[in-house]
Amino acid sequence: MNPRIGIIQFPGVNCEYETARALESVGMSASILRWNVAPAMIPDFDGFVLPGGFSYEDRVRAGAVAASDDVMETLMAAAADGKPILGICNGAQVLIESGLVPGLTGGRIDLALAPNKGMGRDGYYSNWVYVKVGPDPGRSFAAYGLKEGDILPVPIAHSQGRFTSAESGLFDTLEAESQIVLKYCKADGSAPGAFPDDPNGSERSAAAICNASGNVVAMMPHPERSTWLRQVPADIDSVWAARRNAGLASRAALEGEGPGAGIFRSMRAYIERKP
Amino acid sequence: MTARLEGTLEEIGQALRELGVDLKPEEACRIRDRIGRDPTVTELFIFDIMWSEHCSYKSSKRVLQQYLPTEGSGVVLGPGEDAGVVRLATVGEDTYVLVVAHESHNHPSQILPVEGAATGIGGIVRDVYCMGADVIGVMDALRFGDPEGPRSENVKEIVEGVVRGIWEYGNALGVPNVGGDIFFDRDYDENCLVNVIAMGLAREEEIIRSRVPPEAADEPYDLILVGKPTDRSGLGGATMASRILDEERTSDLGAVQLHDPFLKRMLAEATRAVLSHARDAGIKVGFKDLGAGGIACAVSEIVDRGAFGARIDLDEVNVAFADIESFAIACSETQERYCWAVPRGFTETVLRIYNDEYELPHVYRGARAALIGRVTRERDVVMTRGGETVAGLPAPMITEGIAYDREAAPPRRSADGKAGAAGVVPRVDDLKAVCLSLLSLSSICSKHYVYRHYDSEVKGMSALKPGEADACVTVIPGTSVGVATSVDGNPRYSRVDPYWGGVMAVCESVRNIAAVGAVPIALTDCLNFGNPEDPRVFRDFVETVKGIGDAARALSAFGTDEPLPVVSGNVSFYNESSSGAAIPPSPVVACYGVLDDYAVATSLALKQTGSQLLLVGNPGNALAGSALLEVLGLPGTGMPPVADLEAERKAAHAITGTIRSGLALACHDISEGGLFVAVAEMVIGGWGTGRKGASIELDFGGDAAEVELLFSEGGGYVVEVLPERVGEVSSICESHGAKVSRLGRTVEEQVLEVRKRGRTILKIGIDEMRDAWSSALEKLVR
Repeated sequence: MNPRIGIIQFPGVNCEYETARALESVGMSASILRWNVAPAMIPDFDGFVLPGGFSYEDRVRAGAVAASDDVMETLMAAAADGKPILGICNGAQVLIESGLVPGLTGGRIDLALAPNKGMGRDGYYSNWVYVKVGPDPGRSFAAYGLKEGDILPVPIAHSQGRFTSAESGLFDTLEAESQIVLKYCKADGSAPGAFPDDPNGSERSAAAICNASGNVVAMMPHPERSTWLRQVPADIDSVWAARRNAGLASRAALEGEGPGAGIFRSMRAYIERKP
Repeated sequence: MTARLEGTLEEIGQALRELGVDLKPEEACRIRDRIGRDPTVTELFIFDIMWSEHCSYKSSKRVLQQYLPTEGSGVVLGPGEDAGVVRLATVGEDTYVLVVAHESHNHPSQILPVEGAATGIGGIVRDVYCMGADVIGVMDALRFGDPEGPRSENVKEIVEGVVRGIWEYGNALGVPNVGGDIFFDRDYDENCLVNVIAMGLAREEEIIRSRVPPEAADEPYDLILVGKPTDRSGLGGATMASRILDEERTSDLGAVQLHDPFLKRMLAEATRAVLSHARDAGIKVGFKDLGAGGIACAVSEIVDRGAFGARIDLDEVNVAFADIESFAIACSETQERYCWAVPRGFTETVLRIYNDEYELPHVYRGARAALIGRVTRERDVVMTRGGETVAGLPAPMITEGIAYDREAAPPRRSADGKAGAAGVVPRVDDLKAVCLSLLSLSSICSKHYVYRHYDSEVKGMSALKPGEADACVTVIPGTSVGVATSVDGNPRYSRVDPYWGGVMAVCESVRNIAAVGAVPIALTDCLNFGNPEDPRVFRDFVETVKGIGDAARALSAFGTDEPLPVVSGNVSFYNESSSGAAIPPSPVVACYGVLDDYAVATSLALKQTGSQLLLVGNPGNALAGSALLEVLGLPGTGMPPVADLEAERKAAHAITGTIRSGLALACHDISEGGLFVAVAEMVIGGWGTGRKGASIELDFGGDAAEVELLFSEGGGYVVEVLPERVGEVSSICESHGAKVSRLGRTVEEQVLEVRKRGRTILKIGIDEMRDAWSSALEKLVR
């Protein structure tokens, strides 16, 4: 049977439907679980996605209110069971606010997603960026089927996406433990330098970070917006754009997989892995 | 509370002003005579809103009816309800329809830019949601003052605020931004324009009407209000004329509405559940959004359209604070509310879905679904509070509005393109400098600085995003069908000649659709003008509408000879400040197109070296109102254009045919800045990432001056084609009767080279053009 993924629909999220389509496109089944019925249903699923949006209106801080919602307790139990949980954008903010990521010291909140720096002004920033797969990709479900150094063009859309921490040395640990799953980079994979290749000023250019067990991943870019080739902009500097242009007038080509599909494929492969 | 209309007209006028009502004293007396008694204060507020220009179209409706085509074989619902509905495509057993609405939010945005722009988006998406559709995109057409002019600081604040309002609302709601345009001009210094457009997707049978269904004749129907608790916001609308309210000085007051995209999103999800339940059970419902006039107007409209009446108990309305007046409950424009008409047996389910399943009262203070009344067979709308009647009027009297025949001054020119300013071809001494100035002109330069704040990809349906091509393309998931969207309107043309400005707004929006290979299926418009009581303003309005109507009739969709229907729209008058500064005639036209196979649509950037560049159509010698003359500081001169709509239609069909055959590697229409800017943008790339050069020859133009050939804005398309496919493209163009010329080729060297008679007259590097084009907007508005 295909892996079954539950998408947690907190009040105010807004990426749940396309996330469901993206999960289904790589052969999983997806169900949208309203926040107040989700706790009872969580045992039935093999993995979870916390989708993007503005849960609880981003009151207090992005993700903060959802992080204390009842559903999180059941999700923590699922995480402890080793089930994969992917937080995308606002979902990543929820995972950081709940302490599930990086999850090094019990439930302590060691990381923050702070307001973007670099654009020269505050506010929401929406654009395509490049991310590179970090070392030991197999240690997290999100890069399980990818190779170290793979470059994926993906879009970001957030105001608060700068991974940072007050704990000195935390990012050294995350690097050493290969918990930085994806890093922003230039089109050729080199270090991003300044804005816009570094879109938000994240520590170590981090775009996605996993917990110690690799089964919970907080990812700021939106893989569900680059799951199909047609979603990839025609004019960016990438083999994916070249593929898109070569597919002109061929719907079959344009409905083929885009770079973001690799994340969902990895999730499926991780769930189906032989122990 | 009864309003006493006694004494002279002047005294009545004074009494109305004290109440905060904008009605003219003659209008108030007309109301008294028609109902045979003095109206209550609540009733005066109701008429104030329903007889306002905004709701009644009292100055414009006769002109609109006379000149605009609104029908067609694909039209499901034309103007009249909250949104227009037009058929997109049938896939298997599903017929998909596009639901479109188009409105202005100019006055509020000038005063409170963030809230004004945000509630503009909030209002327009409600118009689409309430038809039973899911909103899949919004667009905005923005007109700002001169950031380098005398009101520079204020203009920049408005730009910043409006952009923030748009992203704060749209991004949080989760609706992608799928296009828009921006103009800066000193004539908008005191009156910015914020025109907003929403489009939604539904299956045809899912469309819900904003009326009580006929079943209510045989079984009891309830009226349910859902959403935000009613407060006093938006009372009196943007005129903010309510002096009484200002004097009370309480913190609850505010004439501009407050936006809440989070609640809107919650309502959209819960509503989706209600609609799905009703569909599965075969329950007939009516659904309407609340806008200007609040509960009173929405209830009147939903019952009157079904030929019913209503009894409303205002005590049942969830309000934000206890001491709110009856007229405020009845008429305030509190955002994020809808009204349902449902059979009584379904009422409990609706209340349960909103209040329990989606926990509205828990997630948002004071929000809920509330049973506020019932549908009656008698056609009066009666509202009570504390057992007392605060309004009791026949529904048709409330909804029918009024109409005026406004005086129009004689046209400035005949509509045949003959009269107008004398044509002079200007001298250009430093061609390269002029070209770079054009690329950094505020209306031509890259808008990335603004739209990088907008989420254009939420919902995951996009195939072409803002800037990548002349139109955005949104794909219906699981199908091959793409929806192309574009909005346009150039005040420079309207200033030369309002008729031509109307024609060109349609032409340009249609060109943008054709340039991605889509077939245009409908238009919407928003007509922004000054005071209609000024005969010159009203003349410009009439001329503009004639222009839009003529162009819509001439530019039939590919493969048909039906006019393009104008299925929804809005008129915004009184865009004037107290100092008397009025905006130029400012029609904004949106066009919607359909692609049977979205895969043929391509971005405007050049794709490879060694391709041929073809010119389809003929840009002519139209320099009046052009960007060139703007850059040269010579507005008001130039050869007036001839609106050759026949040639326009043939070129559009030729380019649609070419792209549909999968032959276009890239395509861009010729508009502002003419052929030069079109080719330059293909070289730079819509996102500024272009890496291929181009070499073009101007020998297609015979003896015409190179300035005309390079900068005329009379339309046409540039298309990149593989050399071995040029013959196919030529025969497609010929079959449509369109002119096609060889223009040049793409080259590896990163330059744009222009040659005439074998001589190079211009050569500019990509980087130089890119710098001018991509940095201009930030320099201007930061």
